[in-house]
Amino acid sequence: MGLDYQLVLWNKFKKTYDKIIVLAMLLYVILFAAITLTFNSETSIETLIIRAFGSLAIIMLHIILIIGPLSRLNSSFLPILYNRRHLGVSMFIAALIHGGFSIFQFHALGDVNPIYSIFTSNMDYGSLTNFPFQVLGFFALLILFVLASTSHDFFLSNLSAKIWKRLHMMVYIAYALIIAHVFLGAFQQETSTFTIGLLITGFIIVSGLHLVSAYKEHKVDKTSTNGTENWLKVCDISEIEEDRAKIFTIQNERVAIFKYDGKLSAIHNVCKHQGGPLGEGKIIDGCITCPWHGYQYLPHNGQSPPPFTEKVSTYQLKLENKTVFINPKAFDEGTEVEPCKY
Amino acid sequence: MKKNDEFYVPYIDGSLGVKTKQTLKRFTIIALLTIILGALLFSYTQKPFKNSTFELTNSTKITGVFHENPYPMLRVEVAKNIYKNILLLGFGKSSANPFLEKLQNQVKDLNGKLLSIEGNLIYYNGKTLIQITDEEKITLENQAISSIPVNESINNMTLQGEIIDPKCYFGVMKPGKGKIHRSCAVRCISGGIPPVLVTTDSNNLSQYFLLTDLKGGPINNDILPYIGKPSKVKGYVEKMEDWHIIKIDVSDILELNKKSNIY
Repeated sequence: MGLDYQLVLWNKFKKTYDKIIVLAMLLYVILFAAITLTFNSETSIETLIIRAFGSLAIIMLHIILIIGPLSRLNSSFLPILYNRRHLGVSMFIAALIHGGFSIFQFHALGDVNPIYSIFTSNMDYGSLTNFPFQVLGFFALLILFVLASTSHDFFLSNLSAKIWKRLHMMVYIAYALIIAHVFLGAFQQETSTFTIGLLITGFIIVSGLHLVSAYKEHKVDKTSTNGTENWLKVCDISEIEEDRAKIFTIQNERVAIFKYDGKLSAIHNVCKHQGGPLGEGKIIDGCITCPWHGYQYLPHNGQSPPPFTEKVSTYQLKLENKTVFINPKAFDEGTEVEPCKY
Repeated sequence: MKKNDEFYVPYIDGSLGVKTKQTLKRFTIIALLTIILGALLFSYTQKPFKNSTFELTNSTKITGVFHENPYPMLRVEVAKNIYKNILLLGFGKSSANPFLEKLQNQVKDLNGKLLSIEGNLIYYNGKTLIQITDEEKITLENQAISSIPVNESINNMTLQGEIIDPKCYFGVMKPGKGKIHRSCAVRCISGGIPPVLVTTDSNNLSQYFLLTDLKGGPINNDILPYIGKPSKVKGYVEKMEDWHIIKIDVSDILELNKKSNIY
């Protein structure tokens, strides 16, 4: 958590994370160049750069896309999610080198503006095999630019987590454009079963993991609650672990019910920082701590401890014998609610 | 979600538990192996590049007789009575004509005049081209008129191949053909670089035909939709020493729905 905005709030973990990213990118480019120069030495430096960074960006995008669902399926992957934006920005840099060199190489120093040329040099928009694939790559690069340039808490805070998240869901549009860009472009000329197989395998892994995690999430939303209009029966108190929560969907909103120090408190499940699932968090030092980036909230009022100012909605609970009931009507964000004691 | 008793908080030192560390280590190793596998596959499976050459950082001075029929060339004597016609090109994706304009205005007709040109050579498979980057590097050696090549008629022919821009194909880009390069070839030919038809036979022997209209004039814009695609081209073929010329009606070009096989 931070009070003011800095370019990067460095810590030991982020430094190690970024060192691994840089080393992996260097390893890829050096290996690509060494193999090309050894077995296909007549290449040109421009082609080598375009191909090395283009293929590197695609592989990195696949890695980025599987981190989300992996973290949903197994919380041990959450530290990778924590600094994913650095991986995203690095991937954009690789894509920018690929795109920048390609635009200069293929469209610059001609009789029209290079950007105009991207859209007009090949007008076979009606053909699948002759389709102007560079247009698809250009739009994907624009999306990646928007995502990379807003990958900072300043934009997250000013756009609101909801809008920021929606904006960053555009990565899936970029992924679709990039896959089409490669299959309608490079793979039309440089056809290889191995590289086509690699991208198909990547697509299956990315979509498979998303489907499995979506199914698990769907099961959370199907968790049954019943009761009268004012009080819904949610679960037995023994179903909630100490210092942890159980998530229920109440009137289309996810609510996390925490059990701690002989008390129960319920808050809205969505972290104000980046929409992280608070119910998968833990009580640390008396605060609900978000599993994604460690943002904290007090369980009895949904407020971040001072000097922080984030607030989430709270809910009223009651206990009958060992059964937990919730009042589905949410209180305003940051409203104090007496915890339910047991 | 698979529960993990460990709970990592980025700003709490020591909160990264043993199980989580193991998962991160495994993930990093698999990601690095994927990176290595990707580098191996994407680099090793590239199609072979041609040994075409573009001397970007070297300047060479050549001397020969200028002729424009219809594309500007320099006829250079490479051995006793053996001539090579070097295609003249401008900087980037442009024709040589703007660089020749100043001299053209001085002498009215440059055809048959002896010129020295300093520029960057491009060569492959017996053909040579030169990129001119500065009009000051073109020198008129003398005013005398020398002989220029006369086209020798061959026949009406129908050829299968691919229309390329010779600047990229003969050395500037690799590969300088096909779909990936199409938009660049369009820009080059649109900028005034002559279109060339490349045919390759079953023995991988290639022939090169400069494309002109039926009257022997340059064609650039009309041919743009057909560039970088396997095509059938019908026209009248002539020979101009080491080059062929095919005079065509652009509307006779037939796109072939097949993979490019030019080399």
